[in-house]
Amino acid sequence: MRKAIFIRMALIVATMAMACCSRKPSSVPTTFTELADSAAIFPDYSDVTIPPNIAPLNVKVSDASATEYVVEMGDLIAGAAKDGKTDIDTTAWRQLLGQNRGKDIAVRVYAHRPGGWVRFVPFTIHVAAEDIDGYLSYRLIEPGYELYRQLGLYQRNLTNFNEAVIYENNRDFSDDDNHCVNCHNFQNYDTEHMLFHVRAAHGGTVVVDGNEAHKIAIKHDSILAAGVYPSWHPTLPLVAFSTNNTGQVFHMYHKEKIEVLDVASDLLLYDVENNSVRHILRSDKYLETFPCWAPDGRRLFYCRAVRPVDDLPENMPMQMAIHYDSLLYDIYSIPFDPDTRSFGEPRLEVDASSQGRSTSVPRVSPDGRYLLYTLGNYGQFHIWHNSADLWAKKIGDEGTEECFPLAAANSDKAESYHSWSSNGRWIAFVSRRLDAAYSRVFIAYFDRDGRAHKPFLLPQRDPDHNTLLLKSYNVPELTKSAVRISVERLNHVVYHTEAERASYTE
Amino acid sequence: MNKKQHKEAARRPHTSKVGSFGGVTLLFFFLLAWLWASWWMGDVFRVAYERSFFAPDATLMHWLVQKQMGWMLVAGRALLTLWRWPLAGGLLVALLLTAASWLTGRCLRLSGCLLWLRYVPATGWLMWTSHVGLNLYYMAEPGRILGVPALYVAALALLAFALRLFTGKPHSRPAASWRWAVGEALFVVLCFGLCVWHQQARHPYLRPLTRMQVQLLHDDFAGMSATAHENADLCNRHVAGYYAIALARTGQLADRLFDIRLDFDTISARDYHGWSSQCLNYHVVDCDYHAGLYRAARHYVMEDMTMAGPSLFSLKYLAKIALLDGDWVLARKYFHIIRKAPFEGPFLRRFEPMAGHPELVQADPELAAVLGMAPPLHTFEQFHLKPAFLGYYANLKVFKTKEALIWSTMACLYAKRMPDFLQRCGQLIGSSLPRSIAEGLAIAAVKEPGVLKAFPQLEMQMDFLDGFVRDSQPYMQDREAGADVLFERYKGYYPYYYFFGNIRNARKPGDDEQRQNNAGVN
Repeated sequence: MRKAIFIRMALIVATMAMACCSRKPSSVPTTFTELADSAAIFPDYSDVTIPPNIAPLNVKVSDASATEYVVEMGDLIAGAAKDGKTDIDTTAWRQLLGQNRGKDIAVRVYAHRPGGWVRFVPFTIHVAAEDIDGYLSYRLIEPGYELYRQLGLYQRNLTNFNEAVIYENNRDFSDDDNHCVNCHNFQNYDTEHMLFHVRAAHGGTVVVDGNEAHKIAIKHDSILAAGVYPSWHPTLPLVAFSTNNTGQVFHMYHKEKIEVLDVASDLLLYDVENNSVRHILRSDKYLETFPCWAPDGRRLFYCRAVRPVDDLPENMPMQMAIHYDSLLYDIYSIPFDPDTRSFGEPRLEVDASSQGRSTSVPRVSPDGRYLLYTLGNYGQFHIWHNSADLWAKKIGDEGTEECFPLAAANSDKAESYHSWSSNGRWIAFVSRRLDAAYSRVFIAYFDRDGRAHKPFLLPQRDPDHNTLLLKSYNVPELTKSAVRISVERLNHVVYHTEAERASYTE
Repeated sequence: MNKKQHKEAARRPHTSKVGSFGGVTLLFFFLLAWLWASWWMGDVFRVAYERSFFAPDATLMHWLVQKQMGWMLVAGRALLTLWRWPLAGGLLVALLLTAASWLTGRCLRLSGCLLWLRYVPATGWLMWTSHVGLNLYYMAEPGRILGVPALYVAALALLAFALRLFTGKPHSRPAASWRWAVGEALFVVLCFGLCVWHQQARHPYLRPLTRMQVQLLHDDFAGMSATAHENADLCNRHVAGYYAIALARTGQLADRLFDIRLDFDTISARDYHGWSSQCLNYHVVDCDYHAGLYRAARHYVMEDMTMAGPSLFSLKYLAKIALLDGDWVLARKYFHIIRKAPFEGPFLRRFEPMAGHPELVQADPELAAVLGMAPPLHTFEQFHLKPAFLGYYANLKVFKTKEALIWSTMACLYAKRMPDFLQRCGQLIGSSLPRSIAEGLAIAAVKEPGVLKAFPQLEMQMDFLDGFVRDSQPYMQDREAGADVLFERYKGYYPYYYFFGNIRNARKPGDDEQRQNNAGVN
């Protein structure tokens, strides 16, 4: 770890030393020509709404003939050399946002062309009044298809550029140690209780309780597979899991590239304290997946589809693949009594299948007013579907509900896997909108009227980072605090402890 | 000479004569190393360069730096970039090995009859590169190829400097005769000879294979065919794959596919697990891509990048496939990354302007050929035989072009699936028949006389077939022996392949096992 930090520091120092050698202007040019064009900046931060505690929004300005640039953001001046990259001073940035909480910041971009300075059409950045949760955790993995190598769970401090490792698998190939990690989940935006899965070598589900952790195995003849998509109950030591028998197929000539299909899936309830598991829903007729608790913990939302094939032969994914575009998921909810820990009758929440469409990943806002989900043309693994967009349903008295797209947040590429901030004003989600292949984290303001604003790309110190990184971001989860348990402790639990088998109750 | 004179002589530094002899053998070693690295191993290292990636960028190299000895691997990859030009790369290798030998001699204070020992580390490296074959760069870290010798030289240079600093005088060696120098030179020649022999014995396919890969980089399809013909009796799956690409791109697939041995000896290679592997996926990306199955190629190239990290090979393919898919932004991303690597200007100058310009994609001979062969109907990769390259065409029943029909017919011939072959030949009635298809029909006609009615031009083929049957009859019980005896006479003749070709089909644990053990929905 120390070595990694040292190496990273050395790289940063080398980069900074090189940067120091290049010339960056430090003041706004006094004479310039006004242009009618907008500046070509990456990421596109024009007219986005940002939280007042976000890290500096560094940009890369591109202009064919310019040799240097100035980006003026309110009182803050950021210069850029020929590469067009700004490196905004964090202290000055914090001061700027502090002064403009709930207000707009005008941004003016200047470029020094051979004929003199020019200024592009100014744009605005809106600073919201509400903070975003300070930490975002995610998985970084190649958008590969079947194989995996080095991957890990990371946690980004959103107020600066620090990225910490939560857990990383083995960097060097080893038959004894190769494993994948996925599906990290937190209880009620807090890092006190969290979990993630380990697949292959050292397999199990790692359950974290503060600074301690242990590994469990959810296995039983009655259960399809291990627990997959998790959702912590907001207050009780309970986790709802889906258990999925999943396969994937690859398009040879199609606008989509991959289909990930569930051949079968059910819902489970895992009791953390008693290390026991039982079915919530189990049927051959339906595919149930993506459980999500309501913030009061009295209702469980999930996706459900009718299985198109009743009797599947041996090569099940292949058979299911024939029906890949007729798998349509609706969102249901089922009441839960915390006292008796019993479930009631399912209720249809979002009827997408009757419209010939399919939902995925339901997430209820912390105030319980909105149900956020992804809607695509078919299936449930919408991160591989260009048709996938974010939608919301206003939850109210019966008959007053309405479903609507988050138009300002969506693009013509896949949007999926979203999470709320604890104050309900921000949503973080992944999208393939930048290049159709590598998913990146975007953050959008969700106002009190249920309207999403234009999202912004997760800021990086080097704006090129999102272009150069050959990994995708998965499962962005916002939390109020940093994960406390150390990497070393998690390493010990994964590598050196046996998974305790959960008992199954009917 | 009395005792005193002897002592005097021993105290005097005797560097001039010995130094000149030592220098001559070092120079001799240097020239041999340069020749070996740039000519004998030139294509091998050139392909290793393509399977590697180096850019002076912290984000792009972060994954490698984080590994054990990460800096050494990065340095090794940086040095490997010189292999963009094999002469320059060879010069670098020769300099490194010569420096390693010279410094070894200095640091160990070797002299006289022991001076030859200074070549042991360098020849050890030579032997290693000759021994590992494809695993020099495939399913292995290419940064270690030059990273290890570079680290060795750097460490010895520091040690030599420290010795010089603390002892305060240069290393003096007693006088040695020219005989030791000759012995030293003979040792060097012996080592190089041993390396060459060992490599040829263990990996006879390696040089032709990498030669064809380099020729493919230069679109030299005629050269690829020629290389395959020069090594027609190799029996190597990868060579056969690249040969098929060359034939397909020059329109000769149906005439010359069976000109080389298609028996596929086992090869000496290991996978990531350390298990013996036939490296079946080594050529699949190239083959799938040139067969128009660029989506399948992307599948495998992404897996390759996941397992081995980015390489010029994978990034270039991903960029070209993004162009074929019309994913302009994605293509620009890959071009942006490739631009960070030194010396990749020619690739960028050719392909980068195509981003956003489908008409330029269509005008490029390579990309247009790939698009022309693309599957006409939607299907899933898993519905076809693996590897998808010929497997896809064996199952294909609807054809966009006559070329695709020929490919499919040839795939059936290759797979010896005669009913499927005949089904496709129905679409060729009335047209002139390519050589191998006519020969395949002749075999089919023995069982199905109706074939001769549909294809009356086969009469002459039937006479050839009779002759072949007579010649081959004695070997029908021992086809492996027959394959060797009959090859020279009947190479290129489909009935020879039908009865004596592709009969070993050795397939050792490897790629598929790895896929199963390390696969899943990520």
